[in-house]
Amino acid sequence: MPISRPTDVTATLDALAASPDADLLAGGTDLVVEVNLDRRRPEHVIALRRVTELAGHDTTDGRLRLGANVTYSEVEHDLAQLVPGLAMAARTVGSPQIRNAGTLGGNLGTASPAGDTLPWLLAMDAEVELASPEGDRSVPLANFLTGPKSTARRPAELITGVRLPRVEGPQHVSKIGPRNAMVISVACFAIVLDTTNRRVRTGMGAVGPTVLRSPDAERAVTQALDWDALTCPEDAIDAFGRACAEATAPITDHRSSAEYRRHAVGVLARRALRRCLST
Amino acid sequence: MTTRSVGAPVARSEDPRLLRGEGRYLDDLGHDAFQIAMVRSPHAHARVLDIDVSGALEVEGLIAIHTFEDLPPRLQEPLPLLLPHPSLTAGRTQHLLADGEVNHVGEAVVMVTATDRYAAEDAAERILVEYDPLPAVVGPERARAAEHAVHDDVPDNVAAHLEQSIGDAPAAIGAAPNRLRFRLDIERSASTPMEGRGTYARWDGDDERVRLHTSTQAPTSVRAAVAAFLGLQLAQVECIAPDIGGGFGVKIMHPWPEEILVPWAARELGHDVKFTEDRREHFVSANHERAQVHWIDVGFDDDGRVLGLDVEFIHDHGAYIPYGLIVPIITSTQLIGPYKLENYRVVFDSVYTNTTPVSPYRGAGRPQGCFAMERTIDRIAAHLGKDRTEVRSVNFLQPEEMPYDFGLTFQDGRPLRYDSGDFPASLEKLKQLVDWDGFEERRAAAEAEGRLLGIGLATYVEGTGVGPYEGGHVLIEPGGTVQVSTGLSTQGQGHQTVFAQIVADELGVDLADVRVVTGDTRRFPYAVGTFASRAAVMSGNAIHLAARRVREKALRIASEALEVDAEDLELADGQARVVGSPDTAIDLKVVATLSNPLRYAFDESARIATQFANPGKEGQPPVTDDDEPGLEATDYYSPMSSTFANGMHAVEVSVDPDTSDIEVVRYAVVHDCGPLLNPRIVQGQVLGGVAQGVGGALYERMAYDEHGQLQNASFMDFLMPYATEVPSVDIDHLETPSPLNPLGIKGAGEAGVIPGAAAIAAAIEDATGVVIDAMPISPSQLHEQRLTTAQDRPGDTT
Amino acid sequence: MTGATESYELDVDGRALPVAAAWLGESLLYVLRERLGLPGAKNACEQGECGSCSIFLDDVLVNACCVLAADATDARIRTVEGFGDADHLSDVQAAFLGTGAVQCGFCTPGLILAVHDLLDQVPDPTGLEVREAISGNLCRCTGYGRILQAVEEVKATRSGASGPRGESP
Repeated sequence: MPISRPTDVTATLDALAASPDADLLAGGTDLVVEVNLDRRRPEHVIALRRVTELAGHDTTDGRLRLGANVTYSEVEHDLAQLVPGLAMAARTVGSPQIRNAGTLGGNLGTASPAGDTLPWLLAMDAEVELASPEGDRSVPLANFLTGPKSTARRPAELITGVRLPRVEGPQHVSKIGPRNAMVISVACFAIVLDTTNRRVRTGMGAVGPTVLRSPDAERAVTQALDWDALTCPEDAIDAFGRACAEATAPITDHRSSAEYRRHAVGVLARRALRRCLST
Repeated sequence: MTTRSVGAPVARSEDPRLLRGEGRYLDDLGHDAFQIAMVRSPHAHARVLDIDVSGALEVEGLIAIHTFEDLPPRLQEPLPLLLPHPSLTAGRTQHLLADGEVNHVGEAVVMVTATDRYAAEDAAERILVEYDPLPAVVGPERARAAEHAVHDDVPDNVAAHLEQSIGDAPAAIGAAPNRLRFRLDIERSASTPMEGRGTYARWDGDDERVRLHTSTQAPTSVRAAVAAFLGLQLAQVECIAPDIGGGFGVKIMHPWPEEILVPWAARELGHDVKFTEDRREHFVSANHERAQVHWIDVGFDDDGRVLGLDVEFIHDHGAYIPYGLIVPIITSTQLIGPYKLENYRVVFDSVYTNTTPVSPYRGAGRPQGCFAMERTIDRIAAHLGKDRTEVRSVNFLQPEEMPYDFGLTFQDGRPLRYDSGDFPASLEKLKQLVDWDGFEERRAAAEAEGRLLGIGLATYVEGTGVGPYEGGHVLIEPGGTVQVSTGLSTQGQGHQTVFAQIVADELGVDLADVRVVTGDTRRFPYAVGTFASRAAVMSGNAIHLAARRVREKALRIASEALEVDAEDLELADGQARVVGSPDTAIDLKVVATLSNPLRYAFDESARIATQFANPGKEGQPPVTDDDEPGLEATDYYSPMSSTFANGMHAVEVSVDPDTSDIEVVRYAVVHDCGPLLNPRIVQGQVLGGVAQGVGGALYERMAYDEHGQLQNASFMDFLMPYATEVPSVDIDHLETPSPLNPLGIKGAGEAGVIPGAAAIAAAIEDATGVVIDAMPISPSQLHEQRLTTAQDRPGDTT
Repeated sequence: MTGATESYELDVDGRALPVAAAWLGESLLYVLRERLGLPGAKNACEQGECGSCSIFLDDVLVNACCVLAADATDARIRTVEGFGDADHLSDVQAAFLGTGAVQCGFCTPGLILAVHDLLDQVPDPTGLEVREAISGNLCRCTGYGRILQAVEEVKATRSGASGPRGESP
């Protein structure tokens, strides 16, 4: 049967075991486009939208789990309180039509260096949940993303969701592109001020082969912050921007020069940090 | 009395069906037709060594594969050079399928026909073409450096070299107290309509006729080309432009190779055949425009008056030049704008590159010319420390000098002669509209918020309504419906509504009773096409003249029927009636019936025209020598020269000092196209043009790499503006009528796009202090320019 | 056709329409246009960038070119063909007509659906919200100005206010 429409994870894994080369179809915004443009010819498709375990979100043991089928629109409209940074990231994705269709699982599976949700998920130390006949496992996002459009997902595995710690404190995500709407970002930046653990966490997109963090910048600004007042000296904010920019490895292409990407991520970093501070 | 509809913002009659999704564009037709897929060159420049089709033969649904070798001799001839010119000494055009060499990525090499598009593409993918890559020539300067040649027999890559001049520019510049020299660049862009190219042909073997539907701006000329290539009489070819999903110039290019190959294949295969390109094909196979490099040398006095202007430019016309020199000629003549230049020399080289060919895109060379002239005026103002509007004012041609003959030859081979316009009045309106004098306060306020605000303006004059002619046919049916047709086709401009307005007014009938057909050679076989903002001027006036004839005939027949003097009659409410005593009246449909002497009463209403009911005048035949049956007329409008519309745009941009992000925050337009036939439609044209101008200034470019590969051939990377990128636009009109045509109108289709790049460049320059000499500009580019450019205001580069 | 095929039924505008032996990779856009004879959704990019093929899938606005038709078997599909009829335009369609928001009309079906979607969810959107809501729909003709005005008119009419309805020249 060329298309499987399983309704639970077990049936999905069975289908995947039966045809390990099958294409997994979530929102379609990547796969169907690839088929349209004749870059891929599916022999077997496993459609995931009916798989109940991939839908919705829940909180257990203080950790949040988001199902792989959660769309950007759901994040934007329904989860803005729970995951404000992810909601900001979701708002920058494509158009209403794309946000209505595209899913978190799809963004993870495609693993574009410019994937809009990935910087925030990285900043949050998200873990990717994978199910397979051998059992479930969780892989930290940093290890899951192995390069441009390549991941640690094994052929028999299914991305079922992401797990995140609950983090208290302000967060911000913003992106720069050559056009306002529907644009592949030339730089994307996410910041989370974890006020419980008093740690600054960051993620940067489109400025390296995959999403990046800047441990040096995080460390320095974590120390420079006055965590009680949520303020930061101006020179430390500037240094934070510089350190973030230095941690990037951008490329030059027709969308932007590497130099501008580096510069832009520094500006985004400073601004995002300021947005999180008390004024 | 019927309300006058010309000048009113009436709703478009085209829209209800389009709104319901009932528009029928090319790909909505020919559902059961065989489908074409083209094997296209992946190389910018290569010899074709071998084509192996064997792998494709097994594909289910495959109907035929054609290479150049498989075409009959006539179809092995290159495409016509549509616009020959004495200076176009090395004109080369493409073959329908590559003849041993490809000269741009996307050039058609093999045609595959199959039962559906999937099968055609499957087969196309299995055809192996062996290429021997050759060095690619990319960019106007590399073309002119001529290290490599695009065409072996044109070693310098120059197709044409043309010089025109007024007075003695070099001498005037030499004697001028001030002189500036600089270079300007405009990159490639393209029309990029939402609907790409497409052609659908049906061969009727019993009738030996081909019916061609094609998404074109020039159906009559496509028809003639098809007849010529296929060896058919014109009477055997019908060409129809269905609903067209936008043109913006690219669909004036014709015949596309597919417009010949599709009807030929339909005849060969005895089956309907259709070609619809996909988006990537459109990017690499449908023509582009805009790319030019200019070198300016200008001399001026201390008031900023231009004493001499010398412009040299290179025009990159891509791999072939089927559309001749129209674009660079327009650039070189329309560059002048609203200014009275007495010493002007312009010289250009039109050069081959291994990129997609170039033909007009809305604006057609004017945005480049406007950029050159308006950047020049801004540099003069900066050099002298004067207000930019002041320098424009001292250079304006004055309204009392109209008509003004520059002594140059325009794109239609006729003199460049401005017929109308009041540039000082337009500028005054623009300054009011944008509050030019209040800008410094706004700048200071923005600065306090950490934004760099800048203002710029640009002016242009646009030759519109070029000849040679258009025609119109108007017929009142005995049922009362008024049938109107004209030969040129429509791509969303609302022609059907506007032409109906003209006819409704002339004939005193309800708009709803007027049916307009455009772009169907079965209805009107004589036409030139839709380009150069000419449809309203040309077809509008032709239809107006035809309607006037119908009116005269209706009045004559009515006066005979009512036995009153024709001069006492008026046409109103669908009747001919006596002025002042409307009870003495006759319905126009009755007049139409009477206009056609009948033998047979095929229905009740026809009885009055039959031979015993209406025997005619004694001593005269039923149809007299100077008459003909039917209440209809055909007329043509052919102007002595183009009519010149003009306009001025002012723009405010806000630049983010950190990211160099550019936002257009205010956009004002003053536009003069004479009387507005339908203000809502004219303003819609202007708004659409402005959006393309903004796109062309900030987002849209064809990003070729050095190997001639187009790196951004998709909507994901060729960044057309969405609603989030287009500013609100304030529009004001000045209506100086053209003395050249009965309606006094001037074209409006292209105007909105022309000054966009120039005005936005000026505003960015004003905001940042960085000299902007190349467009479009991205935040990334502006950032780098701000880093590398000295922060002084534009000025001395002598 | 090479490759795997599927037969299935789609629920389009309230009708159950059979699709026989379609290639697995066919998008819903292709099936609507080529197999079901519903050309209202337009094909302009095939990659979700232009919105010309916008449709509703279970009341959610999506691009038909990004939907695998064989996966839409148990969804309610609504196309522009399901909005308005010969005698009756929807209020959004009527406002497009009244403001002059149509030029070539190719992108229009997609925009009509996008505007319906917006106003059904957010009855009183701000100007920026309107721009963002239609920022998945490319229009090359209009520059969007009249489309924005049409949305304002529908807003005003639906809220019962007389609103700034005046003639738009």
